[in-house]
Amino acid sequence: MNKVLQVLRDIFSFADRPRTEWIGFIIFVVIILIFPWLVKSSYARSVMIKFLLFALFGLGWNLIGGYGGQVDLGQAKNVGFGAYATALMIVWWKIPFWLTVIPGMIFATAESFAVAYPMFRLRGHYFAIATLCVALVWKELFVFWDWTGGARGVEIPIMPTPDFAYMQFGSAIYYHYFIFFLFITQLLFMNWFRKSKLGYDLQAVRDNEEAAASLGINVTNTKVRAYCITAALGAIGGSFMAVYYLYIDPDFVMPLDLSILIAMTVMVGGAGSIWGPILGAAVLIPLDMYLGAWLGAQKRLGIDFMIYAMIMMIIAAREPKGIWGIFERIRRKRMR
Amino acid sequence: MFNHQIQPVMELAVELVIYGFLMGLVFALIALGLSLIFGVMNIVNFAHGEFLMVGMYIAFILSSYLHLDPLFSLPVAALAGYLLGMMSYYFLIHHILRGPMVAQLFGTFGLMLFLRYLAMFIFTPDVRSINQGILVGKTLSFGWMTFDISKMMAACLSLLLFALVYIMINRTKLGRALRATSLDAEAARYMGIDTKKMNALAWGIGGATVAISGALLAHFYYVTPTVGMLFTLIAFATVALGGFGSISGAFLAGIIIGLIMVLSGQFVSELKFTFIYLAFFLTVVFRPRGLFGW
Repeated sequence: MNKVLQVLRDIFSFADRPRTEWIGFIIFVVIILIFPWLVKSSYARSVMIKFLLFALFGLGWNLIGGYGGQVDLGQAKNVGFGAYATALMIVWWKIPFWLTVIPGMIFATAESFAVAYPMFRLRGHYFAIATLCVALVWKELFVFWDWTGGARGVEIPIMPTPDFAYMQFGSAIYYHYFIFFLFITQLLFMNWFRKSKLGYDLQAVRDNEEAAASLGINVTNTKVRAYCITAALGAIGGSFMAVYYLYIDPDFVMPLDLSILIAMTVMVGGAGSIWGPILGAAVLIPLDMYLGAWLGAQKRLGIDFMIYAMIMMIIAAREPKGIWGIFERIRRKRMR
Repeated sequence: MFNHQIQPVMELAVELVIYGFLMGLVFALIALGLSLIFGVMNIVNFAHGEFLMVGMYIAFILSSYLHLDPLFSLPVAALAGYLLGMMSYYFLIHHILRGPMVAQLFGTFGLMLFLRYLAMFIFTPDVRSINQGILVGKTLSFGWMTFDISKMMAACLSLLLFALVYIMINRTKLGRALRATSLDAEAARYMGIDTKKMNALAWGIGGATVAISGALLAHFYYVTPTVGMLFTLIAFATVALGGFGSISGAFLAGIIIGLIMVLSGQFVSELKFTFIYLAFFLTVVFRPRGLFGW
């Protein structure tokens, strides 16, 4: 009983963070909750949904990339597994959406587990390149195979009436609350994770592998478990993408750009902190949508990614800890 | 009967092997710069393929706007690649070298995205190709075998350039300073070698060689802003197979990768790059030092 209470406290408590942080977080939650009632523009709502989706992806990637310090450039493959599991199961067997999420997560986890052991013999740059390669192989296979729809992708037929089982609603509000629910669940999971045994092990491994090993932490095992959990978390967002966009193809759900964008939201916001991915998504996604809309009118491609790239290089050279790092530094200065 | 059937297969095989060998020589030149940069300062350059794309676009501009033969673009591409490499070092890489590994990765990744989308901004995503030039589209026949002259020329020039850089690194004083920096940067600094300059030089040589191979490839390969990623990965695969930082390893591995690409492309043409990624993954996983690594 005590143990259950302890876990519950770990899930819901932000007590180890300064009070300003979680007050800010509560304000953020309230804003998101009333957002669809304040803003009627469907474009603004779609920006909000995309922001929550990428904050969700960022939270998942932060586990391996932030707390684990392992740069995984293949998260898009897990997103793709989730999206394809949902889309194909709905199209082939008319299985309700809710039953397709778990198989997608299981597949992503199993695949990650299969490749993780050899891959974690590598460190740093080598690991990053290996993840990138695995993701590219999967993408090419999904384009090549016929049963996945090939490059044409999969289209989920639209139901005649709004249907809760297949997550098809008349209004974007439902998607807004659903992705918000997923987001909060994942945030609370991460809040628990960072205080769990595995979380502490992982951070110890990130900070100093040899020291962690000498304290009896199984380094490879810790990394592999973190990698598998990250894969499962990525697949959830992928399943949501399938039912929200109703059309997926390998270029949409598993491209390298998606892996980079996910990793970037975390890097820009601040890797290895609970709020970092949210901050990163809050900066990058509105910027992305705004630039996309503005540049779509200008008929000029590429400026958005050039601005991204500039941000990336500046952050890498000047502030490797991201926006959250700047906040922390200001706080430390004030405490002194 | 038996002989009759086996003959075309053998002919095809010989032709494919020679073609793979030729492509392999180009891949070796592409991988040279990456291997050199990694050897000197332990940093993986994700923007490598984008340097190649810059070389390709230089060949394209010179041939279609200024109506120069793409062969003339080789020295221009080399100069541009050299300057680009130097500039990347002084403006970006130098600042991220002391940072954590993640920052290094993201720095070169950012450079890659920047160059790629700069090209997309200037040239639009259209697929382009060079269709005029002394060697473009011409073929040469040896008995039953037919080869594009441009591919043979690309392979020969690649071999020549590779040899030049190899000699420069192994026989000259400058090359000795470079090797000293790659063996132990700190000790090299104590010996009075300006390691910052050596790092910049490695980036310059890397950029120049890969931009030349881009200009060579542009003779027979289409040009798009996103072509770089493919060659970045081919170069990674080559360098990983040959051993990171090993220059002679890169040469042999380039030929192996060329053969893998051409032979697998013959049977499942959609998956020819998948086989390269797989070969890369398998080497990185089972022999991270590479076939010829130290």
